[in-house]
Amino acid sequence: MWFKSKTAVLGDFEQLVLFGVLRLGEDAYGAAIRQQIHARSGRDVSINAVYTTLDRLEGKRLLRSWTGDPTPQRGGRRRKHYALTPPGIAALRHAYHSVISMAEGLEQRLK
Amino acid sequence: MTAVLHPPRLALRLLARRLPADWREFVIGDLEEEFSVRASASVPAARRWFWRQTLRCILRPPRSAQAYPYSTFSPGDSSMRTLLGDISYGLRVLRRSPSFALAVIGVFALGIGANTAIFTIVDTVLLRPLPFNDSDRLVRLFHVPPQSTFPGMKTFSVSPANFYDWQRQAHSFDAMAIYRFREFALTGSGSTESIVAAAVGRGFFDIVGTRPALGRTFLDEEDSPARGHVVILSDGFWKSHFGGASDIAGRTLTLDGAAYDIVGVMPASFSSRAWGATARDIWVPLAYTDAQKAVRDNHNDQVVARLRPGVTIAQADAEMQAISRRLEAAYPQQNAGWGATVISLRELIVGDIRLSLVMLLSAVALVLLIACANVGNLLFARALARRKEIAIRSALGAARSRVFRQLLAETLLLASAGGALGLFLAHEGLAAGATLLADRIPRADELSIDWRVVLFVIGVSLLTGVLAGTLPALRAGRTDLNEALKEGGRHDSAVGVRTRRVLIVCEVALSVVLLMGAALMIRTLVNIRNVNPGFEPDGVLTMRVSVSTTRYHSGEQMYDLLDRTLAELRAVPGVQAAGAIDDLPVTGGSVQPIVLEGHTELLPKDQPTVNVRTIRPGYLAAMRVPVLRGRDINDGDDDVMLVSQATAKLLWGNEDPIGRRVSLPLESKDTMLQVIGIVGDVKQSDLTEPVNPTVYQATRRPVTESIREGSGGSYGLALVLRSAVPPLSVAPAAVAAVHRVDAAMPVDDVKTMATILDETTTAQRFSAALLGVFAAVALLLASVGIYSVLSYIVRGRSREIGIRTALGASTSAVVRMVILEGMAPAAIGIAIGAGAALLSGRLIEKLVFGVSASDPLTLAMVTGSLAAVALLATLIPAYRASRVDPIAVLRA
Repeated sequence: MWFKSKTAVLGDFEQLVLFGVLRLGEDAYGAAIRQQIHARSGRDVSINAVYTTLDRLEGKRLLRSWTGDPTPQRGGRRRKHYALTPPGIAALRHAYHSVISMAEGLEQRLK
Repeated sequence: MTAVLHPPRLALRLLARRLPADWREFVIGDLEEEFSVRASASVPAARRWFWRQTLRCILRPPRSAQAYPYSTFSPGDSSMRTLLGDISYGLRVLRRSPSFALAVIGVFALGIGANTAIFTIVDTVLLRPLPFNDSDRLVRLFHVPPQSTFPGMKTFSVSPANFYDWQRQAHSFDAMAIYRFREFALTGSGSTESIVAAAVGRGFFDIVGTRPALGRTFLDEEDSPARGHVVILSDGFWKSHFGGASDIAGRTLTLDGAAYDIVGVMPASFSSRAWGATARDIWVPLAYTDAQKAVRDNHNDQVVARLRPGVTIAQADAEMQAISRRLEAAYPQQNAGWGATVISLRELIVGDIRLSLVMLLSAVALVLLIACANVGNLLFARALARRKEIAIRSALGAARSRVFRQLLAETLLLASAGGALGLFLAHEGLAAGATLLADRIPRADELSIDWRVVLFVIGVSLLTGVLAGTLPALRAGRTDLNEALKEGGRHDSAVGVRTRRVLIVCEVALSVVLLMGAALMIRTLVNIRNVNPGFEPDGVLTMRVSVSTTRYHSGEQMYDLLDRTLAELRAVPGVQAAGAIDDLPVTGGSVQPIVLEGHTELLPKDQPTVNVRTIRPGYLAAMRVPVLRGRDINDGDDDVMLVSQATAKLLWGNEDPIGRRVSLPLESKDTMLQVIGIVGDVKQSDLTEPVNPTVYQATRRPVTESIREGSGGSYGLALVLRSAVPPLSVAPAAVAAVHRVDAAMPVDDVKTMATILDETTTAQRFSAALLGVFAAVALLLASVGIYSVLSYIVRGRSREIGIRTALGASTSAVVRMVILEGMAPAAIGIAIGAGAALLSGRLIEKLVFGVSASDPLTLAMVTGSLAAVALLATLIPAYRASRVDPIAVLRA
């Protein structure tokens, strides 16, 4: 198949990264996303894992990126910012609704 | 202090070394930023955290899909993305080696460009329909002359009476029309112009099926002498003479002193130069008198017809033959032995060039194959250089098919770029060569690049890429990982050498075929040039004049005008002799039956025929046609004749013809012409054909129908001057001399006889020039191929050569070894190529002249020169091998 039209299926770490990007809005870049995931899911992932996933998601056209200005805290280096594309939002919505509908009525048993 | 807030320097350095360039800035920046946040709480904890992150990054650096195309498929990878990835990776790889990319693109562009140019010609000439409505149903009708009197002649012009019988009796056609060409003097706009019109019979424009752009075509009743003074203009003539004025209807044109009403203008698309009837400036009605319509024995007219839908040419041909047999029975005196045939208009226009074009297309395809083999060779060398890269990809898990696809994608990329450049080259080349092509191939005015050509380029580019890239890509995937990854692997020479030798064999073999073709065409050209035309063309200037028979309406007046003109010309400084003839040698002319005195005129099929030329005194001297016996004609001669050697033999055998009398019944049944001399044979129609028996008459009778009938018109003939100085330098003075005698006499086609001879070989020169270029390119590519493979082998075997030298091998032994290494595939290629050349000789058998298509001398020359070039290509690698320093090599 050379063309595909279905909504992309996301892995669980991909979902975490996309939620991080969505939550951070304009401030979504590697370190901030890593910290969000650490703070909210407790997973202390490595920065390389975050970037590998960001790159893959960008390759699937679920994310777009741009480069920011250099800052002194970063030793004069620039940030790479990410934002969701419409297919990215669709994929994330699909993943979220899948989890919600699978979990419906099971809340008590998961406590 | 801010200094302590810096992350560990060693970790930073490790990260800088290990991270891919496109990630380095962002990852280190992120880590440093978070470090400074963490360090404000606890510096040691921040440092530990930083080290942990660094180690994890070093062990598994961020991977990006684009940077690692050989990685195994990641989940969700689609073929399209892989393809795009291959292409973008290919682009980056090629950008890093621009000289390789340019070399390959250049070779592809040359090969594809040459193919595209030739294909464009084939497409236009052979594949596209003629620019007329439903043109596949357009046919021409001809007589088939009796073979006993016109041996080898397959078609002949038609006589009016036979045409009108055909028109009445045939049912295979929607309609048929008769036409001929008529020369007019156009006056009224200052100088007099000579203009050739197509005089067309009833229904001509309806048969061709083109509507006029302005006004109307001829009415049926205008095809009569009483109402025939109307004219239709071509688009070009309308623009050049009337500035494209739209109120053209009702204006007049003065032709031979008579006013013709302009009734219409044909569109530009109608003016196809491929067909004489449409390539004209003006059209007039044929307007035959009843007497002219009744002429049955004089064949000067052309016929075009439109087949009824569903009727095949074979059916129409059969019907015409049946009609001819009826006409033969009805009019044996004129029609005995005269058949008829139907030929498609398209076949007539492109039939002659088809064989040449097919040959050229085959030749240029061979060039492309050689280019493919050459690029294949380059790719092999490159695959060697990239062996380590490929081995690493394989070690990391890339499947062989993955490596194959990547390498093939690169070649296809190069082929596409070459194809695009080739299309551009072809377009520019055809535009630049348009004027050159115009006289050499029919329909050259229609040449353009259409969708078929673009599809051709795309197809050929892909095919070329696959042909050139498949073998090297397959071989590269088979790399032995262990060997490749070893530092300075020593078995370089083992990679693909056998395949590359096979490529050399192919290149050389194809080159032999091309060289053979080119050599044969060049020899053909030389042979044609060496044909003795029977006269001396050098130093001769010719020009066409037309004598208005309206103003000079008796034979006496006309010949008096001509003789005064010739006298004036002989007075021009530098002119040694001047004469006149109706049709120049090698351009064809009148062929008529001839009857000896005392013999009764036989049926046309049994009556011998000769070429009949009408000359004025001075012609033989100007052309240096030798008078073998008897004498040349003088000014005072009337009704005398010179016969060529072949005529004397044909008509009188071993008897002496001088003093005999003959008649030319088509011109006059009762005028007897006396033979006064025998002259040398001259090629009248084609240099490659046998000499034609010819008679030269000198008469003071009016020789054209129009004069005989007093209906007005023009009599065209050629003036011939021999000059002691370069002929074109006397041209202005000669034209002025003509105009001193009659200022209104149109003078055209001022050219040297040598040029006219050259024009008869344009088709051969076209083929020979193109084949020559193709062969030269082939030779160059083949020698480059041999050179590169051999250099590569020598480099790969330098260690072995070093050992041999160290063990006492002499320089000459090393040189001999390398030369043999190179010459072996060349020799095999030459042998295969020679066989292929002999087999393919059948294709060009009809195109060569004076030499056999399997001529052993030519073949020897070709194979010899190819062997010499191959030897030359081996010399530099052999020299390099002889300079290998054993100590340096063994230490390495």
